[in-house]
Amino acid sequence: MFPTPVEKRPRATQLTYQTFLPLALILWLLPLIAVAIFSIKPGADFTNANYWGWPSSFEGFSNYGKVFFESQMPRYMLNSVLITVPTVIGAVALSAMTGFALGIYRFRANLWIFFMFVAGNFVPFQILMVPVRDLTLELGLYNTKRGLVLFHIAFQTGFCTLFMRNFIRQLPRELFEAARVEGIAEWRIFWYIVLPLMKPALAALSVLVFTFIWNDYFWAVVLTQGAESQPVTAGITSFNAQYRAAYHLMSAGSIVAALPPVAMFFLMQRHFIAGLTLGAVK
Amino acid sequence: MAGVSLTGAIKRYGATQVIHGIDLEVRDGEFVVFVGPSGCGKSTLLRMIAGLEETSEGRIEIGDRDVTREDPAERGVAMVFQTYALYPHMTVEENMGFGLRMTGHDKAEIKRKVGAAATVLQLDPLLKRKPAALSGGQRQRVAIGRAVVREPDVFLFDEPLSNLDAELRVEMRVEIARLHKEFDATMIYVTHDQVEAMTLADKIVVLKDGRIEQVGAPLELYRDPDNRFVAGFIGSPSMNFLEAEAVAGGFRVPALDRVLEVPVRHPGEGTKVVIGLRPEHLETDRAASGMTVTLTEALGGVSYAYLETKGGERLVVEERGDTRSSDGDRVGLTFDAGRVMVFDAESGLRIR
Repeated sequence: MFPTPVEKRPRATQLTYQTFLPLALILWLLPLIAVAIFSIKPGADFTNANYWGWPSSFEGFSNYGKVFFESQMPRYMLNSVLITVPTVIGAVALSAMTGFALGIYRFRANLWIFFMFVAGNFVPFQILMVPVRDLTLELGLYNTKRGLVLFHIAFQTGFCTLFMRNFIRQLPRELFEAARVEGIAEWRIFWYIVLPLMKPALAALSVLVFTFIWNDYFWAVVLTQGAESQPVTAGITSFNAQYRAAYHLMSAGSIVAALPPVAMFFLMQRHFIAGLTLGAVK
Repeated sequence: MAGVSLTGAIKRYGATQVIHGIDLEVRDGEFVVFVGPSGCGKSTLLRMIAGLEETSEGRIEIGDRDVTREDPAERGVAMVFQTYALYPHMTVEENMGFGLRMTGHDKAEIKRKVGAAATVLQLDPLLKRKPAALSGGQRQRVAIGRAVVREPDVFLFDEPLSNLDAELRVEMRVEIARLHKEFDATMIYVTHDQVEAMTLADKIVVLKDGRIEQVGAPLELYRDPDNRFVAGFIGSPSMNFLEAEAVAGGFRVPALDRVLEVPVRHPGEGTKVVIGLRPEHLETDRAASGMTVTLTEALGGVSYAYLETKGGERLVVEERGDTRSSDGDRVGLTFDAGRVMVFDAESGLRIR
């Protein structure tokens, strides 16, 4: 077997592997660990430069309590949900349809349209920052969740279409042909045959887009301001007041903010394994 | 119930023409098999009839109705695919009833039709299973059942048995023949397997490079092929071909070292021809020794002896009975010259 499993390598290699792997892991996770530790320290530890030491007092409950009950965090979290969920639904629904059209139908401009969807992904969004902000202002969508959702959907659909189209392409063509001969309308083919077979792709894409959008900071800062519309990634900086940075609260807030995508990932992990098309063809 | 008729059907992909004007008449209730080597256009032709491929030129009629430009759904055909194309997320019952359900039939009617088809195809115990839990033969039966419940005018089969193992293929072949008797429907069947073609067909259409080589009943094609291609394609093992030249009083065959008197029109001295001899019409002659047996295949009832002449030409001979050749034997060949077929060397056309 290639590569040779570690258990079958010489003892020295095994030992090196066993020492370096945890080291590399710790190094990799260090920032996360720091944030996790800070979230249970009192704010004073930061000013006293007690970055890596034992917490001078255990403030976990009070820190997280403050995040939930004495700050705007719940509001920001709710904003995040209200921005992310519609975006996921919108982008995935749109791309399922574009993917179906581009994956199944043969028409002349098919490949060019597909390339346009893909090429859109290569435009750096920093370039789009100013025009998009102006556009939202003119449309009266600046500083609204609706505006953010619309632009997220617009920007995500390109990548999602690439993903969906390639997935649909892999479904056996005969399935659609069989349905067509049976006299089933195209939208019913989409709804009753394509969508059920796309479940693994839908799940995978939803998790991906959910993570992208939840973690988005750029557009959140560019297109929104204030607790009425900002998602949690942007809102978290509100712990930095004018004269004082509450790093312990920011850490606790960050941990809370990071949980949904992580939870989402573990919950949906099972669906990533695409075994549904098995049995359609030999 | 309806027949199918094709008039000058042409298929082009861009500038490449793959079907060159097919004229064909399929009678109501007939079982027609399209047969030919891969790439001969038989599947394309079937898909044109189904409406899955556009017809570039010509006319396709089903039951006296011009369907050339119609959608597959409006043609009253049902198709069975080589890969079965079952919907993997539906049970057998749902698979078979799906088309009816989507076209607005009521539940009781669907249940009755699916039930009836399932009984005919012995699928009753499998109705609640999903395709993944079925064997290849069962899946193909479901695919056929899906076609049956729609009660189409014409059944189209696109190499339906190619994905099955040899034993199942024989079983399903019998099944399909039985279905044809039972439904009395028009069936068009595509295969590259000439045994399937011979056993199932009322009429065989031999295709090559997008053209019809010959149309006829199985035994007609076997006994009286129009050209060398059909002669070689129908019959297993294939006909032996030897180069020959027309001389006064017959055909001189260098490989056999003799002049054959064959009761056919004499094409004129010096004409290059090819003579065809079916393995089952040949016999080895132990008294003579012009050829060497290079290999024998004993199948039980018959054996096939592969002979090589001095000049290196190869021949297959079918042997029956108790005395059969073995590898390395030196033998001769006897046959009835009346059975010999003669083809023009250039055009491949039969000289009768």
